[in-house]
Amino acid sequence: MSTITPPPTSTFWETAREWLHQRDGVLSRELLLEPSRFGLGQLPSRLQPDAVAQSTCGFCSTGCSLQIHLKNGEAIGLSPSGDYPVNLGMACPKGWEALTVLDSSERATVPLLRNASGQLTPVDWSTAARTFVDGVRAVQAQHGPDSFAFLGTGQMPTEELAFYGALAKFGLGMVHGDANTRQCMATSAVAYKQAFGFDAPPFTYADFEQSDVLIFIGANPCIAHPILWERVMRNTLRPEIIVIDPRRTETAMQATQHLAIQPKGDLTLLYGVANILIERGWIDRDFLESHTAGFEEFADFVRDYPLDRVVRETGLTATEIEKLVAAIHQGKAVSIWWTMGVNQSYQGVRTAQAIINLCLMTGNIGRPGTGPNSITGQCNAMGSRLFGNTSSMLGGRDFTVAEHRREVASLLKIDEACVPSRSSWAYPEILEGVRRGEIKGLWIVATNPSHSWIDQDGFAALREQLDFLVVQDMYATTETAAIADLVLPAAGWGEKDGTFINSERRIGVIRKVKRAPGQALADFAIFRLLAEAADCGAMFREWSTPEAVFAILQRLSIGRPCDISGINGYAMLDQQGGIQWPYPASSTTPTTERRLFADRRFFTADERAKFLFDPVRPLPEVCDAEYPLLLMTGRGSVAQWHTETRTRQSAVLRKLSPSGLALEIHPADAAAVGIEPQDQVLVTSRRGQITVTAFLTETVGRGRVFLPMHDPRVNQLTHAVFDPHSRQPSYKDCAVSVTSADRAPRSAGPDRLASYPSKVLR
Amino acid sequence: MIAPSTSPLPTFVEDLLREQQDMTAVERFALEHAELASSPTERRYRSLLPATAPQPGQQYGFEVDLDRCSGCKACVTACHAMNGLDDNETWREVGLLIGGSFSLPVLQHVTTACHHCVEPGCMSACPTLAYEKDPVTGIVKHLDDQCFGCQYCVLACPYEVPKFHAAKGIVRKCDMCSSRLKAGEAPACVQACPHEAIRISLVDIAGLRRDVATNDFLPTAPSARFTIPTTKYVTERAGGTELRSGDEDVDTPEHNHVPLMVMLVLSQVAVGLFIAGAVTTTSARMELLAAGWLFGLGAIVTATAHLGRPWLAYRAVLGWRTSWLSREIIAFGALQAVATVAVVCATEAEQLGAAAADGIAWLTVVMGLTAVWCSAMIYAVTPRTYWALPYTATKFFGTTMLVAALASGLVGTGGTMAFSVVSLVALVKLIVESRQRHAPGDDRWAERSSRLLYGPLRDAWIVRCGLLMLFGIVGPMLLASAHPSSTVAGGLIAIGCLAAEFCERALFFRAAAAPRMPRGIAG
Repeated sequence: MSTITPPPTSTFWETAREWLHQRDGVLSRELLLEPSRFGLGQLPSRLQPDAVAQSTCGFCSTGCSLQIHLKNGEAIGLSPSGDYPVNLGMACPKGWEALTVLDSSERATVPLLRNASGQLTPVDWSTAARTFVDGVRAVQAQHGPDSFAFLGTGQMPTEELAFYGALAKFGLGMVHGDANTRQCMATSAVAYKQAFGFDAPPFTYADFEQSDVLIFIGANPCIAHPILWERVMRNTLRPEIIVIDPRRTETAMQATQHLAIQPKGDLTLLYGVANILIERGWIDRDFLESHTAGFEEFADFVRDYPLDRVVRETGLTATEIEKLVAAIHQGKAVSIWWTMGVNQSYQGVRTAQAIINLCLMTGNIGRPGTGPNSITGQCNAMGSRLFGNTSSMLGGRDFTVAEHRREVASLLKIDEACVPSRSSWAYPEILEGVRRGEIKGLWIVATNPSHSWIDQDGFAALREQLDFLVVQDMYATTETAAIADLVLPAAGWGEKDGTFINSERRIGVIRKVKRAPGQALADFAIFRLLAEAADCGAMFREWSTPEAVFAILQRLSIGRPCDISGINGYAMLDQQGGIQWPYPASSTTPTTERRLFADRRFFTADERAKFLFDPVRPLPEVCDAEYPLLLMTGRGSVAQWHTETRTRQSAVLRKLSPSGLALEIHPADAAAVGIEPQDQVLVTSRRGQITVTAFLTETVGRGRVFLPMHDPRVNQLTHAVFDPHSRQPSYKDCAVSVTSADRAPRSAGPDRLASYPSKVLR
Repeated sequence: MIAPSTSPLPTFVEDLLREQQDMTAVERFALEHAELASSPTERRYRSLLPATAPQPGQQYGFEVDLDRCSGCKACVTACHAMNGLDDNETWREVGLLIGGSFSLPVLQHVTTACHHCVEPGCMSACPTLAYEKDPVTGIVKHLDDQCFGCQYCVLACPYEVPKFHAAKGIVRKCDMCSSRLKAGEAPACVQACPHEAIRISLVDIAGLRRDVATNDFLPTAPSARFTIPTTKYVTERAGGTELRSGDEDVDTPEHNHVPLMVMLVLSQVAVGLFIAGAVTTTSARMELLAAGWLFGLGAIVTATAHLGRPWLAYRAVLGWRTSWLSREIIAFGALQAVATVAVVCATEAEQLGAAAADGIAWLTVVMGLTAVWCSAMIYAVTPRTYWALPYTATKFFGTTMLVAALASGLVGTGGTMAFSVVSLVALVKLIVESRQRHAPGDDRWAERSSRLLYGPLRDAWIVRCGLLMLFGIVGPMLLASAHPSSTVAGGLIAIGCLAAEFCERALFFRAAAAPRMPRGIAG
């Protein structure tokens, strides 16, 4: 017999060996990687998907596609989609952790109603819906139909935003509604609308790769939009990268030139640069004559901004400014990108338009690698701008234009009388209305103004003025939900379907891949329920599913600049890797990347782009002896999102965020008031005082300090000033003082300031 | 689709809730993304992997292009997600370097993971042989099932790489996604970096050894000389000189490791009692040895409690060739066995003869001092300046001598001389500890220890000094002068000294600033 006897499964020696030295077992196998399907490489066996689905990320406006890993029909993990034209297989930490934040004990799982003793107590959905309707009706009956307003978001899919705005205004008779996009993108929207005739960011992300001069103003994409920076890094033209920012940010570090400008010096700089370009004749005369209006007046106007004035008012040197001008002139394709540094300003619209003016003057528009390009903030700020039905009517229409009202009423098959003929108040006007007692009820959805609104104490006081406050949110623990009369529990991203529109106008699909906790309902379902409870269900009979509403929105877009009537449902969006608007019915197969104005025809009546400008205004709050430092606010780290209601739910994202609230202050400014690293310091403005930890860094520059916006205390300090055109709050420029919070001086020990380079302490 | 018009509100609510929980739609559209042969990402990372396997004399290493690292931290989350790590477990970190000059400040994020060192500190420290360095790739791999959770590797690694997973009772760490690399797939961090800042490259081991003295590795990071890390940080930017870590000034006390703290004091008390037992010729020898035996047992039990998986404690002996922890465990194990014999011998001294009893008693002393030496070496060989051998040896042998002298004095051996020795030992300890606090030297980590003792540990330090002065210096002096001493006073002083030594040992752990890679901003 030649058969070999198989060895016993475990000999004594093997057992002994394993007992002593165990190379394999439960713990090792838990992390053991195995090849997986769908081109996902290796994954641990418990994370092997049996299907995948694409969904657009729900944090920022980059609009990355995430590949959701499914097992038995539910998400078990995700990875960035490799073939999506936006992110090309990459995601930032927020995207990677997008599913994690859904599992949280802070989720709202049942409607909550404040009872007689002031406690939020669970009620069923029918009661909640009836309470909502009764509350709205009671306020409206007592104080008039426009006394109940709504404050929405840029975080919901377009279909839900449209439903929200339509239900509030057409169904419930509200007049005033706005969204938190007022805090982030209103300036850009107004700037584009006034200059181009429509809120139309002209660019596509390929422009990052095709510019030979990229200028970033008040933008730190390295940590605020890391996946857009990926596109910059893929630029093979060895581009000149110029960053205009008071702080030496991550993006400034990556720049070929960093102009560490005085805060809010940007408008002066841009006018000064325009003046030099005009003086030297470095402008595109043909383009100006054929396609723009108002250039001659602008040329006259900027003569008031000679180089010496610009040097004086911006803190930059003449050489730095000359280099910037030369770069713009020499660039074959110059693109200028901006974010909150421009938008969140008391003169943001004119600053954005100064950027637009520079591009128009030099013919840097409509060509690859060019454009005055606003990088949007929230995942669906663009959807909110077009279809939120707040300041502008569905499809970027105007409530005050009778023709527009007729169109919308007819397309929605509703009575034209339901459509308000007045424009909505903007966010600050609504809150001012509350202060005056004209607004007595608020319906807040997916935003957290108790934390994020400028001059927070002012907002807290307003709560007392309201008869009825409804908050609809994923989390029951937001600062705003905590003070609500009624909390409606919402399903979040990943628990519902819909579409987002990203910064480059790309419409992408989001998918329901997880079960919502408890009785949480998609905002879409909540709107359906409330419509039914308010007896206006008939008006929204066609609004049965998100995809049905998408079809309605397509109908509403016909003939508008944002015409998307050529899209054949969500399936087409899925197959094409998203589609940029416009995409009218006459379109052939969509190309992956498209920009606007290649034909040089703008959306104004005369098809010309307008030069718009105003004199530079002084800082609303100038630093003085009592408040000698200028406080800037902004993003703290890549892992934090706005008021952190979501990002704080992920242990990993928390780990990647600063562990507390640190004030960035220059070592020399700190030394002047005897502040040492890690000292507790009092930051005081005319409105409030908070205690934070001092973080000494040269990157913030002299005379100014920086606080990340994510801590709820920061807006106790900020100064409620607004851009007159966009009504956007100016978050980045209030005067403060910084003093040591430690009463007793530090005990003996090594002097920590000694470790700082002596030259910065001079 | 739900048709609400005919149904009352509660029914409609039921329908909406049911629809919300319905997950059938996802399967429909998921099918559209049928099998994908390979991801486009794969094409991108090809260029980030070495074209060939390591040749003899080479190994794999991470190479980080600092000029491309923008601080997006995607690498951390990708590693976390793609390796299926637990809640807040991360094998990669992103730190921050800051500084430069006023005219040109620097803000540099630094991604860092295991450096797969040429001479891994974790591996030589491990008492269970749970670390292996792959002979071809050089990847330092941790055998999770072999680990019993002593966490000595955590103390031995200069870069805080091995992380203790309390729930599982073991340590886990980066293995450079060795299984992915084997299949030609890039490690998670490499494939997820949007800026292609991380790559795997082949490093020349002899070159790394040669350059260890001059290798800057990374500003503010622990020196490369401890373990010879293979990660290469490259930058073309100037100005690396005046950089600080983002957490440069954050002084948080280190982990207190209570079982280790207790074990050390108990074991040194035991050895002190063995010394007193050997020195004395009176009948107290038996009591002293027995007391020592009990303290020794206490030390062993406490030490076992420190393990994440104590039932595997027997594996501790495997690493004796390189691990001082293995050696310590063997030494104390043997000591306890010999001490048992010594106690028996002391009881039966008359039958066995004085020479044998003396001999075995002194054997416990020699073995005990050897064991304490092993204890000291455990800490001295880690890259913590606060634990440098002169300091650690003074503290550990100081405790032993203090107890030996005090016990001798209390049982009447050596008379006033014994109490004077107590005061002298206490004084020496106090001087050494004060020196560490006041004049830490130039080492950044020693400075941090000093700041900890002035800052958050200030109160504990005052208590330590107060107790030692009172019970270690003044008390014994009074005892020496007031003969015959009272038992109550003696007992009180013994307890006071013990308390003082526990305080000292707590500070030994809490103030031992660990070297570390740069970290981010802390508020």
